Amino acid sequence: MMVLGWCLSLLVPAAHRAPLQPQQTVLTEQPHTCVHTNLIDEVDEWKIQRSLQLVREMGATTIVEFFPWAYIERTEDVYDWSQADKIIRHSTNQGIRVIARLGLVPGWARPGDTTLNYFPEDAFPDFAQFAVDFATRYRDSIDHIIILNEPNLAFEWGFQTPNPARYVRLLQAVYQPLHRANPDVVVLAGALAPTLEPDGSPNGLDDLIFLERMYAAGAADYFDALAIHTYGFTEPPQAAPAPDVLNFRRAELLYEIVRQYDNAATPVYITESGWNDDPRWTKAVRPSQRIAYTLDALRWVEDEWDWAETFCLWIFRYPRPTGRYPDYFTLVTPEFQLKPIYSAVQAYARGWESEGALWLPPPAE
Amino acid sequence: MAATPRRIALTVVLLSGLALLSFVAGRVLRPQTETPPFPTGEIRIAVDASYPPFAVVQDAELAGFEIDLGSAIGARLGLPVRFVNISYDGLYDALISGQVDVVISQLLVNPLRMGDVRYTRAYFDAGLVLISSSATPIGSISQIPGKRLALEFGSAADAEARLWTRRVRPFEMRPYELTEYALDAVRLGEADAALTDAISARLYLRAHSEWNTHLAYVTQAPFAAAVALERASTWKAIENAISALMEDGTLDHLLSRWL
Repeated sequence: MMVLGWCLSLLVPAAHRAPLQPQQTVLTEQPHTCVHTNLIDEVDEWKIQRSLQLVREMGATTIVEFFPWAYIERTEDVYDWSQADKIIRHSTNQGIRVIARLGLVPGWARPGDTTLNYFPEDAFPDFAQFAVDFATRYRDSIDHIIILNEPNLAFEWGFQTPNPARYVRLLQAVYQPLHRANPDVVVLAGALAPTLEPDGSPNGLDDLIFLERMYAAGAADYFDALAIHTYGFTEPPQAAPAPDVLNFRRAELLYEIVRQYDNAATPVYITESGWNDDPRWTKAVRPSQRIAYTLDALRWVEDEWDWAETFCLWIFRYPRPTGRYPDYFTLVTPEFQLKPIYSAVQAYARGWESEGALWLPPPAE
Repeated sequence: MAATPRRIALTVVLLSGLALLSFVAGRVLRPQTETPPFPTGEIRIAVDASYPPFAVVQDAELAGFEIDLGSAIGARLGLPVRFVNISYDGLYDALISGQVDVVISQLLVNPLRMGDVRYTRAYFDAGLVLISSSATPIGSISQIPGKRLALEFGSAADAEARLWTRRVRPFEMRPYELTEYALDAVRLGEADAALTDAISARLYLRAHSEWNTHLAYVTQAPFAAAVALERASTWKAIENAISALMEDGTLDHLLSRWL
């Protein structure tokens, strides 16, 4: 029986290997260019490597990647770093800097009938310990850590009402321990969802209000840099910002709040941005507009936002299609087909000449 | 061994005891009576109302094909319907955490979700379609070589056509800025066929009902409703209602109102 099993095992195709390349360097004329990746859900190591090769070839110096607590410490005090190790190993090999985002609560740290996003306050010390273990392990590779994602949305708290003071208490729980683990670490807070949800909404809270209240709750002492999510939705990047409008330049309103509270000493990282080209979604534009708006946004950041340390596009590629509008934020398909938006960003970042007309004129009636 | 009256009596007592034990154990161990399909007395339906013409907010009211479909399911089951507008990110979590009974929101059947949810039969196919003139119909990729294929630059159709360039003999790709221009190109003779998603095609053809066309699906993207896996009776009720709406023509009627 064992012999038969061994013989059958020979029939299983060998996994693609992903040996490290000679040390690579990102060639770019736009060093603030960055892209958010989704490598943590990738099964095959060669796909992690291929994704990062394409990121480097596009001219992006930095990625933002999610390292979920729930995946790594699935059982209390038992860590599985294997996937994170692969991501860090290949990022380093490609010469790409990693900004790590931490979040998602393992089952042992929350009530049984809750979702992965449900974050009880009594789990904050456990999360802080995980963050310290993460920062310690990757001290030589990762100096930037974002605490949680879009904490002004109820969904991101497992449908609990977002509470700026509670988020500040989380920052307080992790800040000093992270700095003891890695004195060079930059703790990024915020990463707020652009939303106009009013006070009392079950869905979330306006990001401008949430940030103000974070500062009011004493957040300034517990983070080193602000992460900003800013999306253009249906407006071009040049459209003027306003508190009651969601558009690309809403980032300027968030930055104004930073300036009010600490005279702009706090660095700002745009960790999510971009346009979507879903044919049906009300918050999307056409693919041709998406390319034009994205390139204009890159120029805007270069010319107008000298305070932005990075400009990260959401999102490079998904391992599998979602079947909905998130697919239309990607630059590369799950099958590694490069979308025209990838080529356009690459040409901009690398300083290449554009290809000229990309489509035909409308047919005449 | 002969059966004595005493032995028979003992056997009867033992069997009676076993039966009683079995009955008690059955009462204790039997799974709890299944939760009713809609325990709140209404059907709570999650929709992402940012997808016209399927679900959208119009004048502060929800409207669209999926709103009509949800209402029709409620009417079929004799229950009131409450729509909960949730963005796509939260749809599955809302279902799994029991905040809603069903999601009807252009969900594609996702095998990775099947540990948590169960899908109904598909109620619409949003896959890619080839549109050609009915006088010169083109029904499949095998007929594309040598033809002029119009599509929207950068769209899913564009990505699919780029794959075709590696699978079939040469054809001319004609990219346009908008899907409407690609369909115009076929209607006006600049192209032999257009490749587009089924929703865009149906909307365009509604506006050009005088144009006789041939429509052929080349990929599938079936939309289905989803129910939490453990809610078997809920799934059955929704599945049966959708099936009935298909069979009596209601579904087609609702579709024709919007697409």
